[in-house]
Amino acid sequence: MSENTNQKTTNEMSHKPDGTAKHIFAFIVMIALTAAAFYLVATDVVPENMILPLILVFAVIQVFLQLFTFMHLNQKGSAFYTIFMIAGIVIAVVSALGILLM
Amino acid sequence: MASHIHPNDRPKQPGHLETATFEGKNKVLGFWLFLGAETVLFACLFGTYLALRNANMGGPTTQQLYDLKLVGLATFFLLTSSLTSVLAMNAMNRLKQGAMQFWLGVTVLLGLAFLILEIYEFVHYVHEGHTFTSSAFGSSFYALVGTHGAHVTFGLAWIMTLMIQTARRGLTYEMAPKLFVSSLYWHFIDVVWVFIFTLVYLLGKVG
Amino acid sequence: MGTLLVVLVLALFLAAILTGGYNKDFLERVRHSKVWDWLTTVDHKKIGIMYFMSGFFFLLIGGLEAVFMRLQLIVPNNDLFTGDTFNKLLTMHGTTMIFLAAMPMIFGIINVVMPLQIGARDVAFPFLNSLGFWAFFFGGLLLNLSWIFGGAPNAGWTSYPSLALMGFNPGPGIDYYVLGLQISGIGSLMSGINFLATIINMRTPGMTFLRMPMFTWTSFVTSALLLFAMPPLTVGLLLLMFDRVFGSAFFDPALGGSPVIWQHLFWIFGHPEVYIVILPAFGIMSEVISTFSKKRLFGYTSMVFATVVIGFLGFMVWVHHMFTVGLGPMSNSIFAVATMAIGVPTGIKVFNWLFTMWGGELHFKTPMLWAVGFIPTFVMGGVTGVMLAVPPADFQYHDSYFVVAHFHYVLVGGTVFALFAGAYYWWPKMFGKLLDDRLGKWHFWLFFIGYHLTFFPQHFLGLFGMPRRVFTYQAGYGLESLNMLSSIGAVGMVLGTIIFTINVIKTARSKELAPADPWDGRTLEWSVPSPVPEYNFAQLPLVRGYDAFWIEKQAGNKGMAPAEPLGPIHMPSPSYIPVIMSLGLFIAGYGFVAHAIPVAVIGIAVVFISMFVRSFQQDFGYHIEPEEIVGSAKAKEVKA
Repeated sequence: MSENTNQKTTNEMSHKPDGTAKHIFAFIVMIALTAAAFYLVATDVVPENMILPLILVFAVIQVFLQLFTFMHLNQKGSAFYTIFMIAGIVIAVVSALGILLM
Repeated sequence: MASHIHPNDRPKQPGHLETATFEGKNKVLGFWLFLGAETVLFACLFGTYLALRNANMGGPTTQQLYDLKLVGLATFFLLTSSLTSVLAMNAMNRLKQGAMQFWLGVTVLLGLAFLILEIYEFVHYVHEGHTFTSSAFGSSFYALVGTHGAHVTFGLAWIMTLMIQTARRGLTYEMAPKLFVSSLYWHFIDVVWVFIFTLVYLLGKVG
Repeated sequence: MGTLLVVLVLALFLAAILTGGYNKDFLERVRHSKVWDWLTTVDHKKIGIMYFMSGFFFLLIGGLEAVFMRLQLIVPNNDLFTGDTFNKLLTMHGTTMIFLAAMPMIFGIINVVMPLQIGARDVAFPFLNSLGFWAFFFGGLLLNLSWIFGGAPNAGWTSYPSLALMGFNPGPGIDYYVLGLQISGIGSLMSGINFLATIINMRTPGMTFLRMPMFTWTSFVTSALLLFAMPPLTVGLLLLMFDRVFGSAFFDPALGGSPVIWQHLFWIFGHPEVYIVILPAFGIMSEVISTFSKKRLFGYTSMVFATVVIGFLGFMVWVHHMFTVGLGPMSNSIFAVATMAIGVPTGIKVFNWLFTMWGGELHFKTPMLWAVGFIPTFVMGGVTGVMLAVPPADFQYHDSYFVVAHFHYVLVGGTVFALFAGAYYWWPKMFGKLLDDRLGKWHFWLFFIGYHLTFFPQHFLGLFGMPRRVFTYQAGYGLESLNMLSSIGAVGMVLGTIIFTINVIKTARSKELAPADPWDGRTLEWSVPSPVPEYNFAQLPLVRGYDAFWIEKQAGNKGMAPAEPLGPIHMPSPSYIPVIMSLGLFIAGYGFVAHAIPVAVIGIAVVFISMFVRSFQQDFGYHIEPEEIVGSAKAKEVKA
């Protein structure tokens, strides 16, 4: 076990840390999506029944950016984090919709 | 399991320090699992709020109440703090303790600004007659947004605690996963806020 | 207020002792006492034993409550426990059995056995493990203190509003329910995270996912269910607490609230909860049947698949508890289909057990008797479950004794039978001694016959129109003889449980030690001595396939091949913080129950201060040196 751990340690040490530039780019996209959502609601550029789907899509894109860039879910060795996060999201959506619609 | 690394050692090479030790791996995994549970917890609060948001019992409605400018500003603070938190982690993995402490400090300040805005907002609403006990809408609003606010408060206390520890002990193998996990928590708070401003405030304005 | 003062003084006194402000010598003696050792232990085996034993204690309390109810119902128009007293009994019986007996006993067995089965030295988070236990313990204590201080909860284990709201239920009973479950629920969530991280990260070399024993697999899925099912309960209880203590309006229709939201939150938790307590039972049965049939488990892969599918579907069926609420034919139909679908993976399991026994070399030791008794019993519970899943029929069965019979067939015939089987099977690993087989057989037959005599007639009572949760019935409706039979059956279950208790005491007193592998076992836990040394494995074992230990035995090897050289073993240090933190939760809970917010704030402060102290503690554990390990092994040989 100990050898195993050591080996993995050196392996991971060779990975380069993530680039700051990528994170700043993701941040700019998030700010833009947020601004767009606020803008859609504050003005009448799109019909009212289209606003909710659009701002929901913006929110989901933002969340994926958070998860996969800021929270490093794109890295190797995060399969279990992703599985449990997806399971959590599925159950969360089912529960919230269940409470809301029934 | 006797790793050759002592938790008090300082890493020499840059890399993913948070999972460099066995304890670190466990900690990060355990925390992701916890975030999965938190997702369901917030989903239940969202469901409750959305089901009850029109039950204002003659009090102010969502359209009358919410102020997009204030919420926009709060959102900007929290989103930016998420970026500074990830910058702190980048600094950590490059072994730059000073830069990390700086970015963590900025994160805390932005978080505090967000919290102050939220408290101001709540006080304002109470004066408008929108309270925790006035209607089911009020109860569910404060339960959802308040739980998020409590998470922000806890996160701030947590990050500050870790800043003190890092200042005392330096950037050790023990500290790295603790710092990383607190940063995950902070990003998660931001994820929840994205849905709060979308489904509570923006949807409240749309009707 | 008086009781509050007593609690406060006690807490201060404890704090004084623990901080050494009382007497230094005394503190030293306390530090070296057995009690202190158990209070502060982070050893998964000791925590498992504490879980199992306190769960068994609560099982006895819950059983006593059930006996009182059967005494009341033995004849029509009885007046032994009427009205509110009966409501309290039925509420506390259900709540205690699910949250304080079944779950902790399962956690106990998982804690002891699962790390051994995957070849780990400990769980991933030993500190969290201890915290989880103490949170459960103090939560259970708080809930049961309600009998003494101010009255037990009386709104059923589901505690639906509006009945559970302040207007209809002004006593402190429901507050005890809310806070007690909230605190023990926090513990359950922690245990879930801990078990998951252990199984994912701590498997020994060669122990791939598809070589894990079935009990470990079911523990894994159960832990995942805990992870996602506890939060809805947390939210539900929190909102109910707000409604009762702070006057909010979540469930109060007068202020726009909706009682149905509680039902959703409760059952989004409640249905997965059913699988939380039954899946590990399936796991225990798989191990027992395979071992005592001397055969590899039939259809292992399909068993794993079925477990995962049941876990997933468990979240998609909660509305079948709410068919009569009036959610509409669409919702009811969807959830009816999903519910019936669960019958398929469950059927796969039943057939796999039968085929494992088919052609096997069967040994009817006590654990196997429970397993064989379990199969038909559980199938009957499953069949009535499918009957209940049909919405139009459910309108007839709803809230009748038919439902009571159904869930006792799955919960007692499934979970409790499995817990007894597991107790007889793994007792040597927990305590180093074998339970008496002859007494075990008496236990089984008395309990098994008594059990069927109690619950089988209840199907018919339900069909004849007897409603559940009602404290009496009238003569002349054809309910007398079946109720009488049912109450007589309860005597058999009581006698069986008494024999089990005698068996436990007798075994504890006996000097006869169990061998390492008394059943000719197949999995890794049988490759280590009984009782298990604190470091579990002197050298981590190398696993070459499913039924790892059996493979080595078949190949003529004496034990597992080591996966590492003998070296110092890292152990976590014991900690007193979990007890203090849970005590803080307990004080906070009591504060909310008494509607004394300052006390609650003090309790919460204790929790946060403990967290802060823990965060600053630099505690890297200690090492056991190889000489010590070899030395203790030699000493054992000399003794033998």
